[in-house]
Amino acid sequence: MSVRYGLLGLAMVLMLADLYLISMVAPTDSVLGHVQRIFYFHVPIAVISFLAFFLVFLASVVYLVRRTPVWDRMARSSAEVGVVFVTLALLTGVIWARPVWNTWWTWEPRLTTTLILWLIYVAYLMIRSYAPNRQKGALYAAVVGIVGFVDVPIVYYSVIWWRSIHPSPVVGPLAGADALNPTMLLVLLFSFFTFLVFFIYLTVERMALGEAEEDLLEARFAIRRAEG
Amino acid sequence: MLSLLLQIQAPPSNLPFLYAALAVSWAIFFLYAFWISRRQEELKKEIRELREYLDHRES
Repeated sequence: MSVRYGLLGLAMVLMLADLYLISMVAPTDSVLGHVQRIFYFHVPIAVISFLAFFLVFLASVVYLVRRTPVWDRMARSSAEVGVVFVTLALLTGVIWARPVWNTWWTWEPRLTTTLILWLIYVAYLMIRSYAPNRQKGALYAAVVGIVGFVDVPIVYYSVIWWRSIHPSPVVGPLAGADALNPTMLLVLLFSFFTFLVFFIYLTVERMALGEAEEDLLEARFAIRRAEG
Repeated sequence: MLSLLLQIQAPPSNLPFLYAALAVSWAIFFLYAFWISRRQEELKKEIRELREYLDHRES
């Protein structure tokens, strides 16, 4: 419990520091103005959603091999937190697109593939809810968690594979060496760290909730057994 | 002339969009964290009640 409170406290302090850096330290973009500051949370949120889905992929593979519930719990928790992150990546993107592209939404490759990613992991969560039992739900979801991860590299490379109005990546293998000035890079890295700590906190909490749900099912089962 | 040049060169602020993006992000994060915490408390309470019921039955 103390580790979880520690993570929450650290996340809160980092968030306040991040807000200060984004609004006071990061330089104002000469073309886009203040709205460009959305970049400092839109990009980390999007990249951490990829990390979440990578964890779903890894945990799903291990679950299919070992069939231990802890890996299924980890996959489910990462998927749910990942859906929250990718939802926010889409929403902040939509809010940023309106003043910059003069439209809330356009069916260009990066946006479309990200929406598909969101739909895949919403389906992943729905499969668990609609499965006839918990074991089958975990099994089907593990398969979707592995196959669905294929969309993550497609989202990342979509801006170079197809004609896109979305800016090129500023992190990862496609980023240019001088994609950002040093202050912008520093603020971006700090934002990454902040959202990473928040992601870890949410995932740990969601896993604890998953464990409590399993305990409750066991307790109900024990009562039914006791009552004959 | 100078004011005209400043108007042309100054980037648009679009601050309401920045505030909206920040507000939406933090609101959704905190609502989700709050939902997890509340659900955990509910489940813990229910598990405790079920265990007490079982102990009572066995005794």
